[in-house]
Parts: sequence; C-alpha cells; structure tokens
Amino acid sequence: MKQSWKKWLRNATFGVMAVAALGVIAGCSSDNAGPADKSVVKFGVTNFADTLEPTQNYFGWVVMRYGIGETLAKFDEKMNTQPWLAESWSVSADKLTWTFKINDKAKFSNGNKVTAEAVKESIERAFEKNKRAATFFKYTDIKADGQNLIITTDKPYPNVPGFLADPLFIIVDVAAEKAGRDFAKEGPIGTGPYKVKSFTKEKAVVEANENYWDGEVPFKTVEIPSIDDPTTRALALQNGDVDFAVNIGAGDLESMRNDSKFKVDEIASLRTVLARINQKGVLGDEKVRAAFISGTDRESYNKVLLKGTFIPGKAPIPPSLDYGFDGLKDPNAYNPERSKQLLAEAGWKDTDGDGYVDKDGKNLEVRFVVYNSRQELPIYAEAVQSDMKKIGIKVNIESVDYNLIDKMGIDGDYDLLISNIVTANTGDPEIFLKWYWKTNLNGENPQNGSGYSNPKYDAIMDQLAVEFDKSKRQSLIIEAQQILLNDGAALFLGYPKTNIVNNTWLTNVVMYPTDYYWLTKDVKPAK
Amino acid sequence: MKTILSKVSQLLITLIGVTFLTFCLTYIAPGDPALMVLEAGDTIVSQEMIDATRKEMGLDRPFMEQYVRWVSGAVQGDLGTSYSGKKPVTDKLLEGLGGTALLAVSAFLLNVLLSIPLGIYSAVKANKLPDFIIRFFAFINVSMPSFWLGMLLLYIFGLKLHWVPIATSVISFKALILPAITLSLVMAAKFTRQVRTVIIEELHQDYVMGARARGMSESQILWKHVLPNALLPLITIMGMGIGWLLAGAAVIEIVFSWPGMGKMAVYAIAMRDYPLIEGFVLWVALIYTAINFLVDLSYSILDPRLKARG
Repeated sequence: MKQSWKKWLRNATFGVMAVAALGVIAGCSSDNAGPADKSVVKFGVTNFADTLEPTQNYFGWVVMRYGIGETLAKFDEKMNTQPWLAESWSVSADKLTWTFKINDKAKFSNGNKVTAEAVKESIERAFEKNKRAATFFKYTDIKADGQNLIITTDKPYPNVPGFLADPLFIIVDVAAEKAGRDFAKEGPIGTGPYKVKSFTKEKAVVEANENYWDGEVPFKTVEIPSIDDPTTRALALQNGDVDFAVNIGAGDLESMRNDSKFKVDEIASLRTVLARINQKGVLGDEKVRAAFISGTDRESYNKVLLKGTFIPGKAPIPPSLDYGFDGLKDPNAYNPERSKQLLAEAGWKDTDGDGYVDKDGKNLEVRFVVYNSRQELPIYAEAVQSDMKKIGIKVNIESVDYNLIDKMGIDGDYDLLISNIVTANTGDPEIFLKWYWKTNLNGENPQNGSGYSNPKYDAIMDQLAVEFDKSKRQSLIIEAQQILLNDGAALFLGYPKTNIVNNTWLTNVVMYPTDYYWLTKDVKPAK
Repeated sequence: MKTILSKVSQLLITLIGVTFLTFCLTYIAPGDPALMVLEAGDTIVSQEMIDATRKEMGLDRPFMEQYVRWVSGAVQGDLGTSYSGKKPVTDKLLEGLGGTALLAVSAFLLNVLLSIPLGIYSAVKANKLPDFIIRFFAFINVSMPSFWLGMLLLYIFGLKLHWVPIATSVISFKALILPAITLSLVMAAKFTRQVRTVIIEELHQDYVMGARARGMSESQILWKHVLPNALLPLITIMGMGIGWLLAGAAVIEIVFSWPGMGKMAVYAIAMRDYPLIEGFVLWVALIYTAINFLVDLSYSILDPRLKARG
C-alpha cells in the first residue's frame, strides 16, 4: 500500500512537470484575430489617481486618459493646439479678451448640452478647487454669450488655448454635481466617448457614452486594470489579458516589435534630460565648457547604454515639439580631440602625469550633482564621468535626494546639476526657457541659479512674453535655443521616449508626446 | 484583570513609541510631500505654489505640533487625509485590507502545510539524503528574490500554460493562486529551516534519550513527546510569520498587480505621504502586538506550568 502511494506521487509529480515543460516548449499559439467578443477591450495602464475628480492633484490626467473628459482644445502630434470642445477661438486687439466658440453639437454624457454657460461654470470650478489653475493664467472676467465663452485676462497671455487644454480644465457638468452627484466617488459627468462604470485605484471600467457628440463609440465596455510592474504589464499583453498597454520596458519592446501580433507606437516625450552648468565656477571659462560638452558621446549613451529608449540630446527642446530641432547646430558636437585642444588653449595641461589636466598645481575637477529616482540619471552621470576622464577632467558625482535638487538649483550649489524636466506641458516651452536661463536680475528669476546671462537671450525672452503670433514665437524660440547652444549654456543629454503597444486586432492606438490621450474615440477594432 | 491592564499599557507605550519614531524618521528623511504632490505632473512649480500647498497640508507648523495634532486625531479615530489621494487614511487602509488579508492568510496556510511537515521530516532524517534535498531547495528559495520567483511563475503558468491570469487587478480565486504560492514558498523556505532546528534541538534532549532507552519507537517519541514539547517555539515562529506576511507582501502585490496594503505603503513612502505612512505603521504595530498577545495567551493554555509561574 505504502509502496503504491509513493509510486502514485512520483508519477503525478513527473506528470505535472512534463505537462508544464511541454507547455513551455510549445509556447502559446499566436493568433491576432482578437477576442470573440469585440465589444469589450482591455487596456493595461499605470494609475496614480485615487479618484476621478479632475481638479484633485493631477487626477484630471487619468480622466482624460480613460476617455471620460475633454477640454476646449487639445494638442496634436507636434503639440500644436487644435480645436476640441471649442471649434474656434480668437483674441481681441488688446490681447486681453479671448472668445471661444463652443461646438454646438457638444453634449455631456448625461445628455445635457454643453453651453458656454456650462463651460464657464466648469472653468470657474477648476479655479476654485485647485490653486494650480491660477498658475496658468488669471482672469478678471468670464462670461457666456450664447455658445461664446468670453474670458478677459489680467495681462496678455499668448497661450490661453494651450493652458485650457490642460486636463485640469476638463469640462464637467457642474449642474449634475449641484443635483447631487459626487464626482470623487461616482466619477465626473464629462463629454468624452466613455463614461465611468466603476473605479478603484486598481481597476477602472468605463462604458460607451450613448450621448457622445463626436461620432460613434467603438466599444461597449473598456476594462482598465492598473498593472504597475512593467514586466508584468508586458506579460499581460502577450498573454491576451490586456489588448493594449502603455509604457512597455525596453527589453520587451524589442521582442514585440518583431512579433506581427503587436504594433508598437513610440515617440519622444516632452521631457529633456539635461545637466545645468554653473557659469560661476570652473566651467565659467567658455573654452572649458565647450571642451566638456564636446567630450560627451551622447549618441552612444542613448543608443547603447540606454538601449535606444532615449533619443540623443542636442537642444533644450525635444524633437517631439515643432521648434526646429533638426535645423539647430550644436557647435559642441562630440569631438574629443577638439576638447583636448580647447583645454590646452585654456591653459589646462597634465603636467604631473596623473591623467588629469591641471593648472597652477590644481587638477580640473567638477562636481556633478545627480539624483537617483530616475534610473537613467546615474547612467548618464557615470557615462559623462568616464568620457571626461578620457580628456583629463575629473568628474566627482554627488548623489542627493530628489527633494534637495530644487534648492541646490536655486542656490547654484553645483558645477553640473542633472534634471529630467517636462519642457512644454501646455505646448509652449516659454516658461522652461525663461526659468532656466533668463538672467536672474535682483532675484526675479530665482530658478536660474547657474549665473548664465546673455542680454540677447533676455531680449528674446521679453519679446516672447508679448508675442502672440504662432510662427513668430516659433522662430524666437528657435533663435533662443541656438544662443544657448552657442554659449554652451547646458549639457543636453537626451529625450526619453514613451510608447503604447497594441494587439493588431485593434487600430488607431497612438501615443502622443503629451501623456493625456490614451483611450480615444479612434481606438477601435481593425477591419 | 491586572494582566490585561498591563498588556493594554504595554500596547499604548508601543504604539506611541512606534508612531513617534516613524514621525521623526519621515520628518528627518529628505523629501517634501508638497513638492512630491505638485511635481507628480512633472511640471515646473513656483515657490509660491509650494508654500501654499505646504500650508494647506499643515507642513508649515512645528514638528511637535504636527505630531500632537495627528495623535489627537488618531485617538478619535481620525487618521487624517492622504496627501496624494486626498482620501481619508482609514478609507485607504480599508480598501487594501481585504486583499492583503486574503493573500496573507492563504500564504500562511500554505506555508504551514509546507514548512512544518518538511521541517520535521528534515529533522528526523537529519544529514541524510532527504534532509539534504529539502535543505537544498530551501536554500535556493531563500536566496531567490521573491519578485524574480513571481515573474518566473507568471511566465510559466500564466503566459505559457494559461492556467492563471497574469494581471487582473481584481481579487479572485484564480488571481490569488500564484501570489499566494510565491509568498508562501519564500516564507516556507525560511520556516522549514527554523522548524528543523527546533525539532533537532528537541530530539537532543535528555528525555528523548530516556524514551529510547525505555524502548519506545521513534515515531512514538516524535508524536507523543517531541512534537508537543516543540509546539511553543513553533507557535512563536509562526506568530511572527503572520506579522511579516501582513506587512511584507508589498513586492508580491506589485509584481502580481494584487490590490493590497503593501503596495499602497510603498507608494506612500515614495510620495512622502506622511498620514498614510503613519496609518500603515499604526496598523502593522497593532497587528504585531495583537499576535504577540495571542501567542502569549496560547502559551499559558498549552503549557499550564507557565501560568502557574505567572
């Protein structure tokens, strides 16, 4: 008896192992006909929002990503502002009064019409509930006249439509809230193709908005689980647990590119990774600075070390934005021989044979301040350190907590200071360019702690503050970037890419440079 | 009555100590919750905005005042509002409680079923082939990071065999299987070794030798004498294990997208969400103390001599 029990156990164990091994060897059969029920689609995301109240923290992003909310304007693939709930807009001659014409067809998911009055209430609500609203612009008057929304601002702002495209200004039906709906608990009444069915931080379910104003809604139900680990997210996509997913890691992305079952859409985001350069220290010498930048092989950092998940850096504004990236000339492109020559011209030579150049008995040493909460930052820093060693500059990397970075930046407490920053979340990089490099006269621009100052650059920034013409703004911004490049104002390391991957039974799954539009009305079954 | 009073006062001292220490640590740790909340959108934030948010969160007040405010709220059952979620901390904890409790209890039961028989068997067969095999697997399991084991199981049983879903982000029996197994395997590896040590120690006691001399069979010695005597240390080990499970499931929860408290706590720390961290620490401290209390209680029931000794 005992013997046969043991035998059974042994056989069973072998059986299970054999089945498992066979399954692993055989792999899963691949088909991309999609699920039998094409009215339901599953979307793997990472979610940070606890509620769908668009005015809380940055939760509006999620409301928009899930296709529930829309704004007056939206950004296209090049971050140009396009009409959405507002079909057109204009600004008065004194540049203070904006008139937005609200699309007459637009409806909330409860069937209520989107009138200019409703939009007014929604925008007022955003200003009331979140202080961030007033950091975009301040208004002195807002009124509705038929389908026209008229906003008068306290001073000229060239980019009001871009500001109103921020998800904080998602248009919600305030009347529904007044009638008792709790947006934080039940989700807002928006104008998007989908409406909330259920929501927890871990999983959202949205269903078709039968009152959608802008065409047909392709899916009856969309299930949106939040899968925080990128590898698990990729496995879920491969397994068919989800049909599309955002931000797949580099390794998995490569295998999915080669798999006909999937389509990868990858784009440079709005971020730039750069090292700010302190002009008050040893890098204040123009030649040393140029030598430093010239000595960095940014092409290989991004293509080899970061496995192509970043685009090599050159200019302040990433190529995803329409600000002349390709036309800009980097006088300090990679050229280590030139670096060595420049150092020699500046009087730095390795006299004691220790591998580092020196002057007046002191080695050329710089402090590179880095934070580690983004994994690419220490990689960049170490790569720069190793390249600098080749030309004789000693780089001392100093890792600090992310929270100290701001203060160190303001105090100028560094030679180089790494940043990973969104350059233009409202489609316009003016604030970014001004904060980092406009002269800090009498403390009016404290973010520029680097001491960088160029009157020509300041003049462009002043012009930009009052210029409303889109193409003139564009050329001013291009000109400003070229000045920064010529001056070696900073070391632009790279631009991270973002991606969205879908099973090919779906179509029109697109990643935009801004992180706002994931589940759109255009995502549908392929014919 | 006296024992209960002394237990309650011990509990209070522990809770105050633990929460105060956590408050100090989060306060000393670099990191500004206001900045974390504002920069969640990765945009440039003005100092004016940061100051206003700090004020709104009460972070501009002196350290002791912040702690006293928190304690007086907590005493009345109000653990404050989470910074990043703008939800009451109690609600956030309750949201994750079900998932974590289910995962922890399942993993614990699996762990008991695995580690006790294996540990005993390993001890009885000490330094023989079965012992080496069990120790070898236990060693591999202990050395293997739990997230890696999780990924491996997901790959085999989810992606390749389709036996279980990979990530549903909801609580269901099917979704529970792999995280519970992963968690229990990691734990069982550690516990099997501890159980083995306890039993071996017991097997070397004089009374075992006496029993052998009296001609008792090995299995009689094991079941009638060794195991009852080893029960107390085993209960202690297992008791500590429950606490470890309830607090330590975070990695597993993230890998398997399992909705629970551990995952929430990790994000709370990353976001410097002080009220949520405090709430979580309070919960873990309560669980540990409660389990300690139950373990103590079980001693006096299982071994009346202890009660007599007081």
